[in-house]
Amino acid sequence: MTHEHARFVFKGTFQPASFVEFAQHRAERLGLDLQFGQASMEAVALNVSGAVELVDAFEMACSLGPFDCFVLDVVRHDVDLAA
Amino acid sequence: MNPKNCWHPLGLSHSIEAGSSAGTRLLDRELVVWRDNSGVAHVWEDRCPHRGMKLSFGFVRGDHIACLYHGWQYNSGGHCQYIPAHPALDVPKTIKVPVYPAHERNGMVWTALSENPPSVPDDDEPVVPLRSLYLGCGVEAAAAALNACRLVPFGSQTPADTTVSRLSDTLFALSCAQDRLLVGIQAISNTRTALHLSIVGSAERYNGAGQSHLNGWALQWRQALETRAANARLDQDVA
Repeated sequence: MTHEHARFVFKGTFQPASFVEFAQHRAERLGLDLQFGQASMEAVALNVSGAVELVDAFEMACSLGPFDCFVLDVVRHDVDLAA
Repeated sequence: MNPKNCWHPLGLSHSIEAGSSAGTRLLDRELVVWRDNSGVAHVWEDRCPHRGMKLSFGFVRGDHIACLYHGWQYNSGGHCQYIPAHPALDVPKTIKVPVYPAHERNGMVWTALSENPPSVPDDDEPVVPLRSLYLGCGVEAAAAALNACRLVPFGSQTPADTTVSRLSDTLFALSCAQDRLLVGIQAISNTRTALHLSIVGSAERYNGAGQSHLNGWALQWRQALETRAANARLDQDVA
């Protein structure tokens, strides 16, 4: 199992509080560490780390988002912790 | 009755064979009752945390149940142990199905919705399973109907005086001549109730002919209830 740290920026139309709650719930369910960056009506940035398969699952879940948010683009930057 | 503070019957023990599962409802919650291959009964929320598929459609393998949809496997504690699409993944403990307590008494599988339910009654009389009946009414109406029922005892053709006692919020006993029936009441919803019936006594006395006789009585009793309810609705419509 590979451990991964990834930085995400979800872009689109957001209710920031709603998206943050949604992402927190998914991260907890998947057992991932999550740290939020800036959140606005247009973008939400966050860092997540855990098993690579579960980070992928987190990306998929958040790309759908809660009912009151529209995710139009996802920018993902995998961080090499060894570097 | 405080539904959070009592035990609820979900079905007759004999209707859940080892290695099988069945979906049911309790107070509008969807639950799965499954029995592992060693014979232990489990009561869980009937929903896979992955995509929401009913676990009652899944497969029991040993002491695990696997979701029909993507094969996620859960151990007897409700924790996901294996995801076939990611065989090397160490599945986090957070992927877990809500689990309810399960006990078997008086030929029925019981559960409780509270984390600290009252203790299970010690008495566990030898019983012969009879059948489950499903009624289109709430539990109080079902309890009132039970209180008014007259059993036709085994070996007789006519109803006789019947003593009805409420042993707990969800368990009744009907005593008539030499016969004693236990009736567990399951509140499916506000308008649906299941009754689970077992006969107190030995298999030597009741297996076969005794079960057949009391099964016939139970079906006739439900038929009479439904007829009365239908007539009452008709009277309301006319009025």
